Amino acid sequence: MKSARAMFFGRRWLLLILALVFAWTVARLGTNVVNLSDSADPWAASGRFISAAFSPSFTDENTTLPEGATPFLERVGADLLRTFRYAIIAMSMAIPLGLILGLFASELWLPSHRLRPVFNVFRWGLRMILSLIRAIHELIWAFLFLAAVGDSPLAACLALALPASAILGKVFSELIDEQSRSAQKVIRASGGSGTQGFLGAIFPAALPDMISYTLYRFECSLRASAVLGFIGIETIGLGISRSFENLYFGEVWTQLYILIGLVIAVEATGNLIRKRLRDGRSRTKEAAEIKETQLRKTRPKDSLVRTLGLTAALGIFAAWSLGDVLLKPAIFEGQRGERLSRFFAHITPDPVAPDSFVPTSEERSAAWEAGSDDLLPWIADLWEDPGKEALINTIAMSLAAVILAGAGAMLLLPWGMRSLASIRPLGLEMKVGKIRELLGLLVRGFFILTRAIPEYLLAFLLVGILGPSAWPLVIALAIHNLGILGRLWGEAAENQLPSQPRQVLTIGGSRLQAFLGALLPMSLNRFLLFFFYRWESCVREATVLGMLGVSSLGYYISLRQAFFHYDQIIFFALLGAGAVIAGDVISDVLRKRLRG
Amino acid sequence: MSLITVSDASRHYGATSALSGVSFSLEPGEKVAIIGPSGSGKTTLMRLLGLQENVSAGSLSTLGCDLSNCSGKTIRDARSRIGMLPQDLGLVPNLRVIQNIILGRSGTRSTLRTVRDLLFPSKGDREDIFATLERLDIAEKMYDRTDSLSGGQRQRVALARTLFQGAEILLADEPLSAVDPARGRDVLKLLTELCSDAGLTLIISLHQVELAREFFPRIIGLKEGKVAFDGSPTDQEIADLYAS
Repeated sequence: MKSARAMFFGRRWLLLILALVFAWTVARLGTNVVNLSDSADPWAASGRFISAAFSPSFTDENTTLPEGATPFLERVGADLLRTFRYAIIAMSMAIPLGLILGLFASELWLPSHRLRPVFNVFRWGLRMILSLIRAIHELIWAFLFLAAVGDSPLAACLALALPASAILGKVFSELIDEQSRSAQKVIRASGGSGTQGFLGAIFPAALPDMISYTLYRFECSLRASAVLGFIGIETIGLGISRSFENLYFGEVWTQLYILIGLVIAVEATGNLIRKRLRDGRSRTKEAAEIKETQLRKTRPKDSLVRTLGLTAALGIFAAWSLGDVLLKPAIFEGQRGERLSRFFAHITPDPVAPDSFVPTSEERSAAWEAGSDDLLPWIADLWEDPGKEALINTIAMSLAAVILAGAGAMLLLPWGMRSLASIRPLGLEMKVGKIRELLGLLVRGFFILTRAIPEYLLAFLLVGILGPSAWPLVIALAIHNLGILGRLWGEAAENQLPSQPRQVLTIGGSRLQAFLGALLPMSLNRFLLFFFYRWESCVREATVLGMLGVSSLGYYISLRQAFFHYDQIIFFALLGAGAVIAGDVISDVLRKRLRG
Repeated sequence: MSLITVSDASRHYGATSALSGVSFSLEPGEKVAIIGPSGSGKTTLMRLLGLQENVSAGSLSTLGCDLSNCSGKTIRDARSRIGMLPQDLGLVPNLRVIQNIILGRSGTRSTLRTVRDLLFPSKGDREDIFATLERLDIAEKMYDRTDSLSGGQRQRVALARTLFQGAEILLADEPLSAVDPARGRDVLKLLTELCSDAGLTLIISLHQVELAREFFPRIIGLKEGKVAFDGSPTDQEIADLYAS
């Protein structure tokens, strides 16, 4: 008899559950994809926008600019450099912080004696804090840091660095825990210290995966840095939003092409380095004779990895030392302290907030005593209106997006998989091929393109064309995740042993049959693992997409920001973080069950 | 004074007794095989001899160090003279051969020195390691990544690490478990010859009784945590050891 788990994860059950969930999201979010005034024509708007894709601008479309204004391409170049700079500075802060956090969040340092449970509580506490920090989106952190440190590049860098260090900390801790302890035990057994065991055995073994993940995180920070432009920080996102709002669609496309090109170039470089770190370099020159000096001279070296490492070091140095000053100087003495005090006054929940912006400790305790009874009703009110609705909408958007993305990726995957789209699919001679190969190339190109465009940017464009409703946001989120799932699922299917799908082809089956009959069932568990992993990310993104004017948590966050109600922003941000953490836990449990 | 003295040593884990009343001593340069069925206490005994854990009762001293009354520094000093060869060799796969071997001297060097040596090995270390690898016939692999080597070559690297460490005792825990049966004899030949040349005391735990009898004049048989025999066993003693 089948176990309950097998029943739950039976494929038909799974499809039925996904269909029901999607139906619920449609009921929840409505069926209005377009939400424009009667006079507006979305098709004409999208037609103008799409036709501009073929004629990107290289000069300003605004003909009324004063003489001496910075030319368009120069402006874009400066925006792009700033986008890059903030991402580099953020990563240079996040990497060391992530390493320290990762070490303490791992099991490695836990003692074996009876105090282990006590230290373990600390470790779990740290992991919870990391989850909370990474659950809050960069845009929300940017709001908070702009209020705390003022309109300086440092606010943007900190907003990118903080969640990145939390994510790096979590991933690094898992990588540290995954490494074999054998070499470390040998070092300890031969008198080495715990630190030597870590630095000599665990760290070098985990390093290639750490670098690989850091490169991926850099890509994410680059996209997030671009998106910060949508809340006024001078990155390429600001240029795109200004051009779009002024209907200079040619300018929009130029900037989009440049951003996409940059993200793809970074991704391609990352892939290359990942491959080199995994495989290593084999000896290209044989030593003339077996002598230490000769062997040393001819040792396998990777000049590409070295050059890129040096470039990264120079990039970090340049990012910190060149460009606008990171923290603008204070106009008057004590301005920074006052700003911080104001910020803390703003984020204190309203019922217990002191009247003064720069309160003394006595005023703080007096305010707490006077208002602490009203704190819970304040939270309950915010939850009732609009917290609950906004949270449900956010979750509905994330579910609709990930289901659409999964369906799209599943439809495209059989046509895009490298091994099936080849002239010799799975190593077999076939009569047809060229067009299929081209189709495969196009599908894979589509996957690359869609994952290169930040979802927030895509959502901004779609809301501009279709009007503010939940569906443009869902579609944007779905398109971006389709690209990611297409790549992850493609890799999972390509990694399967080819004998079974090849068997389908050898008995006269089609490539689609080989996919549906062999590759799909073989890879289904991996597909589901990635599906749940992306859902967790969709919850995080859906929280902020509401800033574009749709009633999810992000909408209320941007609304409250306009009135400096940072206490309410914190409430909604924590609500969103709670949803992300819950999504993380659910997704983790499901993934573990699938693995088991 | 003996290099290792074990006197009525026992080791318990909660209510489970892993070793009970074990006594023997070892002189410098001796080669001893420890045999016995699974669960007989071989691995526990190796850990005790390597000063990785303490006895629950009785006493055990390796290189004059008894965990019950030695300072942390003395323990580290003693450990730096004990080489380990675990079943999976304990090598870092993505480090070069030279880097893995350098880690053998962690016990006698500071953390900073270890990191510096990993990144920029000194000329003296390079020459020592090259000479060690030459003895093991894999000098040409000195700068290759360890995961690019064959199983046999990796075993030699792990041995080179012990030789470079300057260990006086080599504890090899079932070194043939992942080795092709046909190659087991070659591995033991290499191990025993190297230990003879370098004057190392070799203590090895083995499952292969015939090979143990072929290479080791002294064999300690363990059964249910107790010493069943110590010396050159008869066929009957071997049969009794594995009889359930």
